[in-house]
Amino acid sequence: MLCERCKKNEATVFYRESVNGKERSLSLCADCAEKARKKGELEDGFMKNGFFGGGFFDDPFADADKLFGSLFGVKSLPGAKTEKVKKCSLCGATFRDLMNEGKAGCPECYRTFAEEFAPTISRIHGTTSHVGGAPSAFRRNREQKEKIHTLEAELKSAVKEENYERAAQLRDELRSLRGESEAR
Amino acid sequence: MTWYETKGRDSDVFVSSRIRLARNLNDYPFEGRLDDASRREIINKVRSAFEGDGEYRFVDFSALPENERIAAAEEHKVSPEFARGTAARAAIESSDGAVSVMILEEDHVRIQSILPGKSLKEAYDRAASVDGKLDSKLNIAYDDKLGYLTHCPTNLGTGMRASVMMFLPGTVAAGGIRTLANQLSKIGLTVRGMSGEGSAADGCLFQISNQVTLGVTEEETISKLSDVTGKIAEQERAFRKKLAEKDGERLNDRVMRAYGTLMYATMIDTKELFSLYADVRLGVCLGLIEGIGTEKLDTILIRSMPAMLMRDHGGNMTPAERDHARAENVRRLLSGASRED
Repeated sequence: MLCERCKKNEATVFYRESVNGKERSLSLCADCAEKARKKGELEDGFMKNGFFGGGFFDDPFADADKLFGSLFGVKSLPGAKTEKVKKCSLCGATFRDLMNEGKAGCPECYRTFAEEFAPTISRIHGTTSHVGGAPSAFRRNREQKEKIHTLEAELKSAVKEENYERAAQLRDELRSLRGESEAR
Repeated sequence: MTWYETKGRDSDVFVSSRIRLARNLNDYPFEGRLDDASRREIINKVRSAFEGDGEYRFVDFSALPENERIAAAEEHKVSPEFARGTAARAAIESSDGAVSVMILEEDHVRIQSILPGKSLKEAYDRAASVDGKLDSKLNIAYDDKLGYLTHCPTNLGTGMRASVMMFLPGTVAAGGIRTLANQLSKIGLTVRGMSGEGSAADGCLFQISNQVTLGVTEEETISKLSDVTGKIAEQERAFRKKLAEKDGERLNDRVMRAYGTLMYATMIDTKELFSLYADVRLGVCLGLIEGIGTEKLDTILIRSMPAMLMRDHGGNMTPAERDHARAENVRRLLSGASRED
């Protein structure tokens, strides 16, 4: 579908609003959508932080899809023209497949296409780093890493203070901790 | 007892509080790329995590008749998307109806907990305990940097959507919904109305939820949503007070007319029910009608949705038949008579 303004580019942004029962919809390319937003034709907040005027209520996850679709559509594809197409080792998807679907193909896709995903993720969330909860195995791992970090610092200062007895103790502790974390 | 049958905290404004956690299993493609055999495998794996726990019940969701599936969505036990899908999917329900685990919704697993009134923290605790149960038995897709790996990147991080359903007739009457939506979108929250009109036709019900899931902790999200909805509730009460002071006589008349219609009408369609619900619920909250609780009105609303009526009736009905059955249902529930089931 072509952009209804310039009639040149593919429409990637679909805007629909309902004001007092009056429906208005626009199908625009990224450039024309940006112009329309600057002129104030689109509801404040649209595209900036993804609040879609219409589409209400039933599922809080629902309009996230649309948001992702349009954000994805606007994005130019890194490596799209290279001949060798990267594929996810688990599900076989290419990044173009994911772009068309608007979603990842499997958990592995996020590792395979980490670089390609980064700008989209950052645009959606304003960051690319998780700070919340984790499955118990990862939590234990995280705590262990932190503990190793602390012990290493202690070991350094013990050596500096020539407290060799303490240093030996710390070294043993670290060895057993590292053994455990490697086994994981 | 389902959430709508129980009176919750601050039920004058807070109808329900809900948490949804999106989780996926490592080593499987996401939902749209699964063949039937893998779908069955995932269902069995998740099911086995609950084995031997008498508190949970397994439901082969895709084997249910359509009316029953849609009715579960009308009760807000599962999402409408989950209810509409026809490929193999299943649900696990807690015996008190507060927790439902959707297997093969958009993500392999969506843990939902819903409680009446203002109870986000409690709802989160319920969902988190089920999450812990799953992660001790299953290999959950997680990345140190991106958090829980989800089908759609919009849910990465905590994979958590917290939402509060609020009853806002005062804010609607004051014309404040659009402003509210704009303000909320600036702080990473969204508001949705039942039908999108944001009017009495929606029962003045609005769902407020978080938009961002990455770079924030679960606790931060919940505390922000609790603070903001608390402020919305204060404002709503102020609007109601103003409404009652300004034109109490007319307000009282409107409430009583709606109450009369609910009690004596012989045909009520869904749209009218929403509007009557809003007026009568407001009347109950302002003390204009005594002897009924908000939970009774919430029950009337949910149990009179189209698929709920057809499920209880035991088969499909024409819209006119439903309008009849709805009016009858409302009368029966209002008069306090218990249902045969």
